[in-house]
Amino acid sequence: MNSKLERDPQLHNHRDLETVLEKPILAAESLSLWYGASQALKEISLSIPERRITALIGPSGCGKSTLLRCFNRLNDLVDGVRIEGDIRFHGSSIFDPEVDVNGLRRQIGMVFQKSNPFPKSIFENVAYGCRIHGMNRKRELEEVVERSLVRAGLWDEVKDRLHESALGMSGGQQQRLCIARAIAVEPEVILLDEPCSALDPIATAKIEELMQELKERYTLLIVTHNMQQAARASDYTAFMYLGERVEFGETGQLFVNPSEKQTEDYISGRFG
Amino acid sequence: MRTAARPGPPISGRRRWAERVASLCVRVGGFAVVTGILGILAFLIAEVFPVLLASHVETEKQWSTTVTAPVLAVLTDEHRTHTATLAADGYLRIYRKGAEAPVMEEPIGDGRRIVSAKSVLGDTGFAVLAADGRIAWIPLEFSISFVEQTRVVQPEVSAPVWIATDQPAEDIEAFSVRHDATSTAAIFSTKDHHLAWIRISVEENMFTGEQAESVDRFDTQVSAAITEILIDREQRNVFAGATNGELFWWEVEGGALDQHATYRASEHAVTAMSMLIGDRSIVIGQADGSISVWFRVPQADGQIELQRIRDFPAHGSAIGLITPSERDRSFFALSNETMGLYYSTSSRTLWTGSPLLKGTTALSYAPKGDGVVFAGGGAVGLAHVENPHPEITLASLFGRVWYEDHAEPMWVWQSTGGTDEFEPKLGLTPLMLGTLKGTIYSLIIAIPLGILGALYTSQFVHPRMQSVIKPAVEIMASLPSVVLGFLAGLWLAPLLEKNFPMLVLMFLIHPPLILMSGWLWHALPKRFTARMVPGTELLLYGMIMAVGFALAFALAEPFEAQMFAGDFSRWLYESSGLRYDQRNAVVVGIAMGFAVIPIIFSIAEDAFSNVPKNLAAASLALGASRWETVVRVVLPTASAGIFSAIMIGLGRAVGETMIVLMATGNTPILDWSAFNGFRTLSANIAVEIPEAPHAGTLYRVLFISALLLFLLTFLINTVAEIVRQRLRQRFARL
Ligand SMILES: Nc1ncnc2c1ncn2[C@@H]1O[C@H](COP(=O)(O)OP(=O)(O)O)[C@@H](O)[C@H]1O
Ligand SMILES: [Mg+2]
Repeated sequence: MNSKLERDPQLHNHRDLETVLEKPILAAESLSLWYGASQALKEISLSIPERRITALIGPSGCGKSTLLRCFNRLNDLVDGVRIEGDIRFHGSSIFDPEVDVNGLRRQIGMVFQKSNPFPKSIFENVAYGCRIHGMNRKRELEEVVERSLVRAGLWDEVKDRLHESALGMSGGQQQRLCIARAIAVEPEVILLDEPCSALDPIATAKIEELMQELKERYTLLIVTHNMQQAARASDYTAFMYLGERVEFGETGQLFVNPSEKQTEDYISGRFG
Repeated sequence: MRTAARPGPPISGRRRWAERVASLCVRVGGFAVVTGILGILAFLIAEVFPVLLASHVETEKQWSTTVTAPVLAVLTDEHRTHTATLAADGYLRIYRKGAEAPVMEEPIGDGRRIVSAKSVLGDTGFAVLAADGRIAWIPLEFSISFVEQTRVVQPEVSAPVWIATDQPAEDIEAFSVRHDATSTAAIFSTKDHHLAWIRISVEENMFTGEQAESVDRFDTQVSAAITEILIDREQRNVFAGATNGELFWWEVEGGALDQHATYRASEHAVTAMSMLIGDRSIVIGQADGSISVWFRVPQADGQIELQRIRDFPAHGSAIGLITPSERDRSFFALSNETMGLYYSTSSRTLWTGSPLLKGTTALSYAPKGDGVVFAGGGAVGLAHVENPHPEITLASLFGRVWYEDHAEPMWVWQSTGGTDEFEPKLGLTPLMLGTLKGTIYSLIIAIPLGILGALYTSQFVHPRMQSVIKPAVEIMASLPSVVLGFLAGLWLAPLLEKNFPMLVLMFLIHPPLILMSGWLWHALPKRFTARMVPGTELLLYGMIMAVGFALAFALAEPFEAQMFAGDFSRWLYESSGLRYDQRNAVVVGIAMGFAVIPIIFSIAEDAFSNVPKNLAAASLALGASRWETVVRVVLPTASAGIFSAIMIGLGRAVGETMIVLMATGNTPILDWSAFNGFRTLSANIAVEIPEAPHAGTLYRVLFISALLLFLLTFLINTVAEIVRQRLRQRFARL
């Protein structure tokens, strides 16, 4: 895994974590979250660098998905959720009453653990977000759909059956369709919650490859509990444990030379 | 075998046993259900089937007598044990069935020969034209008594009523007699186109008991040679047919025969003529073998005209005799080569065959309508007639039928009337449309409320409220429909009658009020609304409803005064001609809607809740609002389930009985107005089956409607189930 890191030129250009994080695109500040009485996130502070891939790792139930859902305020819809602290997107709080949640979610897209295409055609799946945001002209939609599918690396596979049901695709294709659907609305950040956990290794490899391409345009935040994946595919990694952010750093740094005992135990497979 | 073929670890003995028992139970249960349903279907079909059985006519007994004089008229008793013949030699003879020699033989009058005679049913007897030119009514009765448990039929011939015509018999071409308790009327026509009406009335002095006889006679001329003439039972109308195919109708009015227009059947001579039971319909047989039924029809201009209503397949030669049943509207028509049994209302030819006896000269239906008696060439015979359900054809059940006294063919359900002469009107169309009407009005209320309620509950309401709303709606479903019907009929209907403008007002006030309050709620600062206990908005909503209600209550009177001139039902009648019935489609719509809402609600709620949560999450994560998510993702995904909810609600509404029974006036009228009642197929069965004689025509027709209902609900539920299965398959992969 080291060799992979050596080969990544961008990482060499930004060796210094401090400089990258001077102006993070997203930042959680002392974020705590309760589901009813039980606290799922504890005082989490985390800055997400722009146009990089940041991985969130940690054992099951440590709050990775919860944290991810805070960034696009998807937790709003869960009953009994209470949040303290703040999240800043381009420097301003996303919890401000003036914030248009739907607009925020358009800028911060999400891909779910289980692929969830709508029971509509492939075309309509990708065009969905654009239609919601008021794009109605067929030509424009066709352009967006093609561009998104090309970027999601799916175009060649589906260009002849755009109007067939998306439910007829394979699992890996469905997940890439979900990515295409997410990027069709031109978000700045894409949150990915264990996007490969239900996929076979070949489909997983394809998605990891895709992530490397997407990072040119988008900021990616990926939850995974597959450490090889985090090590292979991400630039920065945050390790969470029991609702706390234990450690955050360059992926190479964190995996080779963790500064916390818990991190080391986890990545060396002593628990998790 | 099967277990052996299945791979995997061996199943332990006990588990295998349990599995077998379970699968047996499931199989038995399923089989029982299917058998039950098929059994119901088979029962319904078995009850309906006899309708399809053909009529038949079969000679019971035919024998020769010692008499050679031609028989002019015959009659038989209710049980067809005796046969009375009137022969040209002037003798009335009564035979036991099969006996060559008569048990009774009496000369009519002075034993003069008779020229012509007709048998008359009802007030049984013979109308006779004697050789001396006199007309007579010869009453004949068969009295039935029981001696030591055996039936004894005793023929009784009373004294004839003689009417002098002052014409030689050979000059009289056609005649007719009608007799009742107080008078005997005769009419005859002569060769020189003279028509005379003679009525002998007997009046009894109440104090002295003396009988005073009075005779009226009036004469008129007629333009054609009359061949057949009839008097109706009221002794008011006279109908005649002529050699040139013309028909005449006179009314006996103020001491004169008042002639209506002349009608023409065709150019062929009228050779036989008879009135069907009730004396409304006239059957006419002609020289070319044609048979038609005529009756008087009110015209648009208020006049009443005789009109040709139906035709039956023509015989090959002239119709010689027509004899009507005294029980229903069937009749026999006889020509030289053919004998046919017909039914007027349904235009059905029930049976045809060759004449039971070659050279029949006299023919008469048996009093109970279950036989026919005939005579000719010295022989006499009795036949058994079976025509179980002559009224029923597909056309008479579902099509328009031209009933007596109606201006045009119509769809009518009116199964029973006051008398035996009533023509049953068994059209199912008004009932089917009534069912449709009830269904539509209730679905207009139930579909929007049920589905939008389910949508709101499953997508927008706090889960804690959800867990209250769902059981509450299910309790609503468990309310017996008889209670709903009772409330609707006895409480809601009178209330609505008084406050209909208020209901209209509520429809005008509530929707904008609710929309406005929803908008206000959203306009309130989030800080404020977020802190409220879940369910507060529902409470507020209830309060707003109450405010709207109070507003409607307060404004109802000025509103009625302004819009409906102070009286809604009068305004309705004057402005649109619609009558406001207290128990009407709106009442049923509300009451039945109340019964259907829980069904639609719970199925639709399931359909909405079954839409995978991650689909909604995907939509929200793309920046769609909750409403957009519901409209664009949840609704289409649940559409098949919603369809099935509507279908099952429809099935319930179609079959619902008690509510419509109690909340409508059960008037089987054909009218789509919201302010009228109606009668549904199901309510009709409930109303009429206690009155329907077992295995009678009405009984069978009710079973036909039950079968229709069964098939309809079966179809609706099957479609709903198929759609539901499709839905399951479609989303199984999600
Ligand atoms: N909707 C919820 N309601 C209540 N508790 C939840 C909910 N979602 C997650 N949790 C709890 O919060 C903790 C963090 O969960 P999650 O963020 O899903 O963990 P991870 O994604 O790291 O496996 C877990 O203990 C989980 O049980
Ligand atoms: Mg998770």
